[in-house]
Amino acid sequence: MRLSLRPTDQQFFALFEEGGANTRQAAELLDELMRRWPESDGLAREILICEQEGDRITHDLIQRLNSKTVAPLDREDIHELASALDDVVDLIEEAADFLTLYGVEAPMDQAQGLSSVLRDACRVVAEAMAELRGLKGLERHFAELNRLEHEGDRITREALASLFTEGVDPMAVIRWKDIFDRLEGAIDGCKRVSNVLQGIVVKHS
Amino acid sequence: MEKWEGEAAALSPEPAGSQRLSSAIVRVALIDADSGFVNVLSKRIGAVGWRQQVLPSPPPVERLLAMRVDAAVIDPAMLGVEAWAFLERLCSQPGSPIVVVCTGPSSVAQRVRGLRLGVDDWVTKPCHPEEVLARLEAALRRKSKAGGGAANTEPIVAGELSIRPDMFEAFVGGRPVGLTRREFELLHLLADAQGRVLPREQIYERVWGYSMAHGDRSVDVFVRRVRKKLESASPDWRYLHTHFGVGYRFEPHPAEEEEAIEEEERPGLPPA
Repeated sequence: MRLSLRPTDQQFFALFEEGGANTRQAAELLDELMRRWPESDGLAREILICEQEGDRITHDLIQRLNSKTVAPLDREDIHELASALDDVVDLIEEAADFLTLYGVEAPMDQAQGLSSVLRDACRVVAEAMAELRGLKGLERHFAELNRLEHEGDRITREALASLFTEGVDPMAVIRWKDIFDRLEGAIDGCKRVSNVLQGIVVKHS
Repeated sequence: MEKWEGEAAALSPEPAGSQRLSSAIVRVALIDADSGFVNVLSKRIGAVGWRQQVLPSPPPVERLLAMRVDAAVIDPAMLGVEAWAFLERLCSQPGSPIVVVCTGPSSVAQRVRGLRLGVDDWVTKPCHPEEVLARLEAALRRKSKAGGGAANTEPIVAGELSIRPDMFEAFVGGRPVGLTRREFELLHLLADAQGRVLPREQIYERVWGYSMAHGDRSVDVFVRRVRKKLESASPDWRYLHTHFGVGYRFEPHPAEEEEAIEEEERPGLPPA
């Protein structure tokens, strides 16, 4: 770590906390959308707003990094963390968008299962982001995100096995394969957030 | 999209004296590589107002079922070593079409095996296409008399509901319920099952034409939609009943009676 006599810019932490809360909100909306589908009641639109908000937060973080302010964490870590959070929200928005775009008639149990795992993972991410400022107590979140990632992998495998059963409509396979990929990718994104945080904790221990 | 031949010919008059089926248009799949025979048979089928589709190579059973044909004329020689398995799978599926095997010389054992697998008729080539057509008609008549098959376009009347297969719509007091094609097919399938519980997987196969992926909620979503439309059009009656973990059953009950049954089944629960 570099030593500096100038005070660090605490606004980074506020932005990360905001980003975590935004990710949690997007995942909760997707979970609700997946449970209610095909009755969407404007939820997809709300998720799109979260995605735009995520872009705004990432932009603010990068802008702040590029200015002359003193970052409270390594610049590479800030960049990596901001990108990981942004990717999760982007994938959530894509999964929601595909439901409409592909004309999905009804949800699948496994998609509802993955959305609920994703919601839980994003809640943990939001908690971790809120605690980033103190860099204390973050460890307890890593094990939980690891467990959720494994749970996501298990459901994804089960989902793919059900799609590739003989005689299933090939169009349904194409549609759901894309959606499952996004849901699994978003859960993996939460694990990526966890990995970056672990690196930060190690550097500051 | 399948290209169906013979629609123009449907306007041509029927030959006098023939015992044709009801006015429903019968759809026939021809799975045979003998182009000369297929051409003549196609023309004959077109001339009686039916529609036919020639399949130069045998499709998977699921695909054939998805085409929702009423009958299939099949030469097992095209299927090679898979012929018996194909016929067995096709004939054992719910909603399978009439299957008439039309092939070269075969042994008694082969013909008996085919018929026991569920083939409706077996014609040996060389044969006249008119005979194949007559055998198709006879098989369809048998199926129609037995109360099944697509040729059955009789309305189903239940409670206040009249389900009209000829119009792909259900009516309450002469007013259409407003069902989509798929919603209608689901309702008609359940109503046609005469009070039997149909498993979700079977409903999906018959209405969507494919195997149901484990976890797919399409049947539940469509039953919910149909139920909502029926309750709106006929609020004093309940038609679709859920059998948890299994599937659905069609049986008209006055709504009051239905609610009383539900209360008896759930005495400890407050009304919803």
